[in-house]
Amino acid sequence: MLIEFTLNDQPVSVEAPADITLLALLRDYLKLTGTKEACEVGECGACSVMLDGELVNSCLIAAPAAIGRRVVTIEGIHDADGGPNDLQRNFLSHGAVQCGFCIPGMVIAGEALLTKNAQPSRQEIRVALAGNLCRCTGYMQIVDAIEATANERIKKSN
Amino acid sequence: MSNYDYAIAQTIEDAVSLLNEPGKRSIPLAGGTDVFVALRVNDLWFDRLVDVGRIPEMRQIREEGGKVSLGGAVQFKQAVENPTLRERVSFLSAACESIGGPAIRNAGTFGGNIANAAACADSLPALVCLEAEAHLCSAKGERVVPVEELVTAPHKTQIEHGELITHITFTLPPKKARSCFIKIGRRKAQSISRLSIAVIGTLDEDGIIDYVRICPGAAVATPVRFRNVEQTLIGKRPGKELFAAAGDQLVAEMIESTGRRWSTPYKEVALKTIAERALANIFLQDESSC
Repeated sequence: MLIEFTLNDQPVSVEAPADITLLALLRDYLKLTGTKEACEVGECGACSVMLDGELVNSCLIAAPAAIGRRVVTIEGIHDADGGPNDLQRNFLSHGAVQCGFCIPGMVIAGEALLTKNAQPSRQEIRVALAGNLCRCTGYMQIVDAIEATANERIKKSN
Repeated sequence: MSNYDYAIAQTIEDAVSLLNEPGKRSIPLAGGTDVFVALRVNDLWFDRLVDVGRIPEMRQIREEGGKVSLGGAVQFKQAVENPTLRERVSFLSAACESIGGPAIRNAGTFGGNIANAAACADSLPALVCLEAEAHLCSAKGERVVPVEELVTAPHKTQIEHGELITHITFTLPPKKARSCFIKIGRRKAQSISRLSIAVIGTLDEDGIIDYVRICPGAAVATPVRFRNVEQTLIGKRPGKELFAAAGDQLVAEMIESTGRRWSTPYKEVALKTIAERALANIFLQDESSC
């Protein structure tokens, strides 16, 4: 079936079977492999994307459910020059990235939080990351990176 | 080549006609958080998914004249954020907030939680306490069934092929009612309930319990009220001893229903404890316990 939606602010139109997930559509049909495939049952958050601005597990969303909606993947998160944005730079400088597999999902979850709550508490950051598993860092550095980004963005906007 | 088709319903009529189209096994799809997990382990049990998540009425939480209507495709996140639910039925908001993580709550729905009918479904104990009714729409018309009766066994319901849970309704409890939901999972977030309990109640002017509803989750096959335990509490003055007796009775009735199973040595202690804590929270205003 024809699946038309907005992907990272660009209209896309792709012919794909009706029985695949949004995750498969992104990775296998649109070749955007930044969104990771891991548990495929909504437990790990590696496949996190934003759908109409809300954090979702793309492994549990039907590809045709994206029709007419806005999807943002990790490929859509970057600075104007195409390099890493402030949140991504903070992930690096805070040592929040080790093996890196969970990081696309973590960054998406972080951005989803910051668009709704510009000044989250550490507890609110932890709740926002509750569905994203990281087996390397122990989460502390990831929380630090998101907190630092929130503080910087607030300072910038003042 | 696709193993099944996908149709997007714009209205309830649209969805009902798609679900009842002869010669096709169609099922409703709302959040997908159960359907796509089940697809990994079960043989395909439908020919077409009917996306009901875009039907405006099914996405609304409404309150009118003391009656609440939750659309079948209302997501848990909406319930968590709804001020009326937070204020008047806080145990339902708390239960929804305990489900999965943010991404699951952004997708999972009440209709799906009921239709999937897991014994551990977290929104059900509070809905059962509220005597919520599911409104099922099909080509034959509408029928209304209490959620407690709709779920007949783990992952089994009275819902017939072609029926859609359009909305769920309940009457708001008295303003003075206090409620509590306690869940035990293997971790704090993103976990399936090992055991839970929803309790709501009120005291009369003399401090006597005059209304109470108790429904544990993941204790017996389906979420049901424990009416005998409610009767034990009605007309009594709240106190630790009374709650311990109610907890013992709750456990005895659970074992009567399930028999002694591998999990019983754990559940008999845990269920009594969370029941006592919930009752203390509601009737003794013990905030530490919920």
